[in-house]
Amino acid sequence: MRSLTRFLPLAILLAAWELVGRTGFVNPNVFPPVTEIVLRWFALIADGRIFGPLWSTLWRALAGLAMAIGCGVPLGLLMGRARWAEWFFEPLFSFGFPLPKIALIPLFVHWFGVFSLSKVMLIFTDCLFPIVLFSYHGARGLSPIYLWSAQSRGTGRLRMMWRVVLPLSLASIYDGVQVAVVVAVLVAVVCEMVSGGGGLGEMMIRSYRYGDVRTAFATLVTISLIGYALYKLAQWLRGRLLHWQLAEA
Amino acid sequence: MRLALTKLIPLALLLAAWQAASGAGVLPKSVLPSFVDVAASLAAMVRTGEIWPHTAASLGRAGAGFLIAVVAGVSLGLVMARVRAVEQGAEPILLLLYPVPKPAMIPLFMIWLGIGDFSKIAVIALACLLPVVVATFNGARSVDDILLWSARARGTSERRLLWRVILPAALPQVAAGVRTAIAVAIIVLVSSEFISSEKGLGYLIFSFGGVGADDAMLAVVIYLAILGYLLDRFYMAGIRRLLSWHAFTH
Repeated sequence: MRSLTRFLPLAILLAAWELVGRTGFVNPNVFPPVTEIVLRWFALIADGRIFGPLWSTLWRALAGLAMAIGCGVPLGLLMGRARWAEWFFEPLFSFGFPLPKIALIPLFVHWFGVFSLSKVMLIFTDCLFPIVLFSYHGARGLSPIYLWSAQSRGTGRLRMMWRVVLPLSLASIYDGVQVAVVVAVLVAVVCEMVSGGGGLGEMMIRSYRYGDVRTAFATLVTISLIGYALYKLAQWLRGRLLHWQLAEA
Repeated sequence: MRLALTKLIPLALLLAAWQAASGAGVLPKSVLPSFVDVAASLAAMVRTGEIWPHTAASLGRAGAGFLIAVVAGVSLGLVMARVRAVEQGAEPILLLLYPVPKPAMIPLFMIWLGIGDFSKIAVIALACLLPVVVATFNGARSVDDILLWSARARGTSERRLLWRVILPAALPQVAAGVRTAIAVAIIVLVSSEFISSEKGLGYLIFSFGGVGADDAMLAVVIYLAILGYLLDRFYMAGIRRLLSWHAFTH
């Protein structure tokens, strides 16, 4: 019952949106009613037209993200535990984090071609920054007691990283992954809008060229849903993987 | 100051390694032009003045969108925090907009407002609006009740309370939201200029990239990075002065 009243304003908004389109107050070919957008969305699913682009965008985003996690977590942890690595990499990543990596699209196209590789590489590059920085802050802020007790039992350096530093930094790493998930989808879509190669971004641009607002809206809904689903998935995984830590705290 | 200088050493090392690799021929110029070439290209663009109209076009778009977002976002956030009906009305809209990657809306806005400046400014404003509204709302919500009570006890009107008590008290959060908005504005600006424009820094990067003028393209990328960095620095310096009286900064 409580959740029902919570969604009431949303329902009113959608109803108002619907009315604006239906009454002819605005041209429905410019700003279509909600139901038409939803119908178009279902139509795109029914005839399967959405799945090709959806898959392209999704795998590019996930591939870039996975590479960024694979490289970024070890680097961030190293920065958190080794003085020299911190000295060299921390300023570079802090400086680069707010810069618009999107501007590198033409350079990446030049290096890696117009196909998927350039997009995956740019997603990787963009996601690397939050993952490295969050891993670094996680590893840096560890309580030394854990490290001492492991050290006193003669734990080697590599084993220490893998068995002590990594598990204890997971909470912070996951915060970084959640930032990166959003970035990955965004960069994938922008790359596809700029340099084509299929995917939901190109679908947006193509529906713009045809002046097909309904498909543009339906595509936008799909993009937002992917981003939201990945974000929620990361959140869920976080709860599953960190339950031992959350229970402790 | 010395701290800032030691932080520049890694960056300088990286640039030196780039230049050395180019000079030794390990890094072919067809892959990446040397740093000196890029710097020379940037210097030439500044000297001939080629870069200024593009800078002005980009800053105009980003600045207009950003200003609209700050004025609208701060006002909306403040009123949302004080008036329940406004909060309930605005919440579903923000809820719907939040998970949308804003640059993905560029094609839609191009349908609505054409491919000119208006669609770009509108997307930038929308993208910058959310962090500002959310930060202002949270800041205004968490204002100490004692401040409100003491102001009311002296007969301060509700409107005056908003501008003279709540906004100043919420300023640290507002400032953080606005800082996010600066970074967002630049990202959306570049994306929109890549997609369609005949002027602006994004256009310049894209057209140099298209004709293979890599040194000029990288020069504009670096110029844009420096511009973004300086904007953030100036903003932070200004905010620090503005907030010097604030309890949070001590």
